Amino acid sequence: METTSTLLTWIIFTPALLGVLTLLAPSSLEGKLRQFALYQTIINAILATFMYAGFIGQESGYQFVHAVEWLPDWGINYLVGIDGISLPLVMLTAYVAPLAVLGTWPDLSHGGELKLEKFFVSLIMFLQTGMYGTFLAVDLFLFYFFWEVVLIPMFFLIGIWGGKERIYATIKFFLYTMVGSLLMLVAIFWVVRSTGEQLGNLNASLEVISGLKFAFDGSSPGAALTSPQALLFLAFALAFVIKVPMVPFHTWLPDAHVQAPTIGSVFLAAVLLKLGTYGLMRIAIPLFPQAAEYFSVMFIALGVIGIIYGAFCALAQSDFKKLVAYSSVSHMGYIMVGLFSFNKIALAGSLYQMINHGISAGGLFLVVGFLYERLHTRNLNEFGGLSKVVPMMAIAFMVMTLSSVALPGSNGFVGEFPILLGSFQTHPWFVLFAGTGVILGAVYALKAYQLVMLGPVTRTDTDHLHDLNWRELVAMSVLALFVFGIGFFPKTFFGKSDATLNTYADTLIQKVGSP
Amino acid sequence: MTLAETFPLQALSSADYLSLTPLFLLSFGAIAALLLGTHKVQGHSRAFVAAGVTIVLALLSYGTNVGAEATVLLNGTLIIDSFTRTLSFAACLFSLVAVIITRGADIKENLLSEVYALILFSTAGMILMMSTSHLLFMFIALEIMSLAVYVMVAMRRTSYFSAEAGLKYFILGGFGSALLLYGTSLIFGATGSFELSAIGKFISGTQPTPIFYVGLGLVITAMLFKVGAVPFHGWVPDVYQGAATNVTAFMSAGVKFTAFMAFGRIALNTVFVENVPGMQWFESYIWLVAAASMIYGNFVAISQNELKRMLSFSTIAHTGYLLLGLYGMRLGPESAQSVLLYLFFYALSSLGAFAIVAQFESANEKDVRIEQMAGLGLRHPIMGACMTVFLLSMAGIPLTSGFIGKYGLFNSAVNAGQIPLVVIAVLTSVVSVYYYLRVIVYMFMKEADGNQAIYQNLRGAGLAATISAAATLQFGVFPRAVIQLIKYLAK
Repeated sequence: METTSTLLTWIIFTPALLGVLTLLAPSSLEGKLRQFALYQTIINAILATFMYAGFIGQESGYQFVHAVEWLPDWGINYLVGIDGISLPLVMLTAYVAPLAVLGTWPDLSHGGELKLEKFFVSLIMFLQTGMYGTFLAVDLFLFYFFWEVVLIPMFFLIGIWGGKERIYATIKFFLYTMVGSLLMLVAIFWVVRSTGEQLGNLNASLEVISGLKFAFDGSSPGAALTSPQALLFLAFALAFVIKVPMVPFHTWLPDAHVQAPTIGSVFLAAVLLKLGTYGLMRIAIPLFPQAAEYFSVMFIALGVIGIIYGAFCALAQSDFKKLVAYSSVSHMGYIMVGLFSFNKIALAGSLYQMINHGISAGGLFLVVGFLYERLHTRNLNEFGGLSKVVPMMAIAFMVMTLSSVALPGSNGFVGEFPILLGSFQTHPWFVLFAGTGVILGAVYALKAYQLVMLGPVTRTDTDHLHDLNWRELVAMSVLALFVFGIGFFPKTFFGKSDATLNTYADTLIQKVGSP
Repeated sequence: MTLAETFPLQALSSADYLSLTPLFLLSFGAIAALLLGTHKVQGHSRAFVAAGVTIVLALLSYGTNVGAEATVLLNGTLIIDSFTRTLSFAACLFSLVAVIITRGADIKENLLSEVYALILFSTAGMILMMSTSHLLFMFIALEIMSLAVYVMVAMRRTSYFSAEAGLKYFILGGFGSALLLYGTSLIFGATGSFELSAIGKFISGTQPTPIFYVGLGLVITAMLFKVGAVPFHGWVPDVYQGAATNVTAFMSAGVKFTAFMAFGRIALNTVFVENVPGMQWFESYIWLVAAASMIYGNFVAISQNELKRMLSFSTIAHTGYLLLGLYGMRLGPESAQSVLLYLFFYALSSLGAFAIVAQFESANEKDVRIEQMAGLGLRHPIMGACMTVFLLSMAGIPLTSGFIGKYGLFNSAVNAGQIPLVVIAVLTSVVSVYYYLRVIVYMFMKEADGNQAIYQNLRGAGLAATISAAATLQFGVFPRAVIQLIKYLAK
């Protein structure tokens, strides 16, 4: 591919460059570093907005391609580009980042202290580089590279600034992801080697690899499991579903979420989980379509189990953060169902749901953070009646809850409805069960809201409990704007993805050979 | 048959002398360091300067002549071509880093000034060992290298374990050398040659005699012993732990590098020769040893509490990965480079990691336990950052050269059709991530409890660690220069 723009490279590496700068900053500037982080995220959001404006929605190929030779001996190049699938995810990252920084501003008025601020801020910047890189990589090796790079800042964020059980949580998070990733690495060797065999020269570019053919024999389960395409698919899929996370590989998520500092939880829920579904959508399913179709029922079933199981777990929690974490397991299950139903509408819905869950889960984690910052507890039974004390926060929380339960008119509806609609045409029975998840979702989300905000005021220390300050208000208002904006005008926000999604679904369905 | 007939010596031309310059330099430099080191007060610093200058000169000599015509000396016994020059260059580089680490550590560990001369002697032995394909000559070179190392291991007079380690290493090392010698003699009896390439040609397409198989088995076992693979690894943890840390660094980089290169040469000309019946047994032998090394090394490293011992078990695991790389070697020079690359990158991180360990000391004169690293990463951020880079590199996480090395190595093994072994390697390296992370966790995420290790900034070791960390990151993101260099030189 030819280089057409270097804008994406700027988007990827601006945070890393400024992160290095942050590390080198003198200690006297430590108090100003949050502001610096805010400027960095705003710069990135502006760059991303420019990119969005220049993105041509009618085209389905990669745009803004930047290609540089990196390791040509191994067929590996620095190759970044964007299409309609990565576009919304990059925009999500770009807009969530400044809001997350704003919403987790440290409150030093009550004698709080900054802990290793320099390191913290630079890690947040490195994390963004990793996330942008993973979404924008068009080279399989580069994708893996960034995929792993994301782990390191997150590992430190949870491990240093996390809660009591932070070390257990962060090691679990790292190791779970590593198991999947390393098997994916073996699969990458295999795929890249196949380009050498089938095309004559090594090349790890996703466009080249999508032209490869891997043998698949679906005549019997044994033959299917041992055919190359199935092995490759399962290796990639394992790495991705661990990240999603799909039941039964989800157990790292509640630990990581509960222990992570608020900003870490926000990034984890809003963006990091999407790396998994993005990987499935970008790599595992389109490159190995027959195998993906063969195993689709299994993944849909696990997705549905995830929806229901996650919802029940959320219902049983008394820890607010854990409740939101399990609700993520439940909501990500819809994306799994949508991706593996091989239906045009459901596939589009899955992409929308990735963005919408990013907004609603990110917002809910911010609310949990607000409460924890003020009251130092996350136990749902220790709140109650707070809407009378902090009305603005109650409104913000309500908006995020509505988005989470997928109320029509909120963004959640735009994602979940097409998934259920599309999948119903291919797998009606599964969707019947998945649909109950919507009801359960409403039950636990409203239960949480009721326990925190409604009823009599039970706490005695509420007099110094202050409402949202202007930073938090800005963060929540922008999120609310997106909740209703996407809810009422989905076309405006996702229109530029239509062409890519159409081509994607057509090619995929044609490759699989089913309606 | 007289000796002169079997081994006729010829006069050396001026080009031959030029090729041998670095070896002369190292030998005379070692003697100079030995003499200069006798000064009562400044002995250590003078020997350091002599050793440093000598190695830099040797490096320059290799660096400027690397593309020169190949010289073959002593009837093909000593081959000095661009490939062996590259290997020698790398060996000198590791020795230079080891010399730098030794500066400062020599006083701290109460080492004699002779340690510098011994490093040079050992380096000369390494270069000879990697430049020959003559089995008998290889044995002699191995002895030159090992003898110096035996002494260095036993030299740490502040520790009880040092003498024990030295003796253990000496006896077991002697046993390994004896196996090599005995195997060599049997192979000579079966094929009539000491020359590896001649042996390879001789056995190709024939049915070798049983004597040959026995001899080959012994030679391979001896080499597995020298590289420290399971089940011949018994000496590794004790020796690595007992030796002064600067010596451990030298061993884990230079000695391992050399032994592997020699092993590769032997394997290419015997086990991986096409059309020889029975060779699949030796392949399975190496396969089993590789798998065992990866599994044993990684799982046992988990339960280690002493930092140095943990790192030494992890070197056993890395030996397993490298054996996996041997399979790639048979595909030709292209894949042999990946082993070289991995060794080079691994040696870099290993040198750096031990350079950092050398700067720590536990209050009760025992080895530093991992728990004693609590909070030290935050207290000494540069040191902590360097150690993190080395550990991530050994774990094979991207951004570090260890990832590039591992990628190349596993890639060539997949190309050689060793997918099951690669899967074992990959899964055991997840295990390794755990114990490497554990050190990082203690350094950055646990609070110091007052019982932590004492950090003593040794200028030499600090410098070596910083340079190695910078190189590890540099080659992790832009490895192309090294890959191309090795490709160009190894043509």
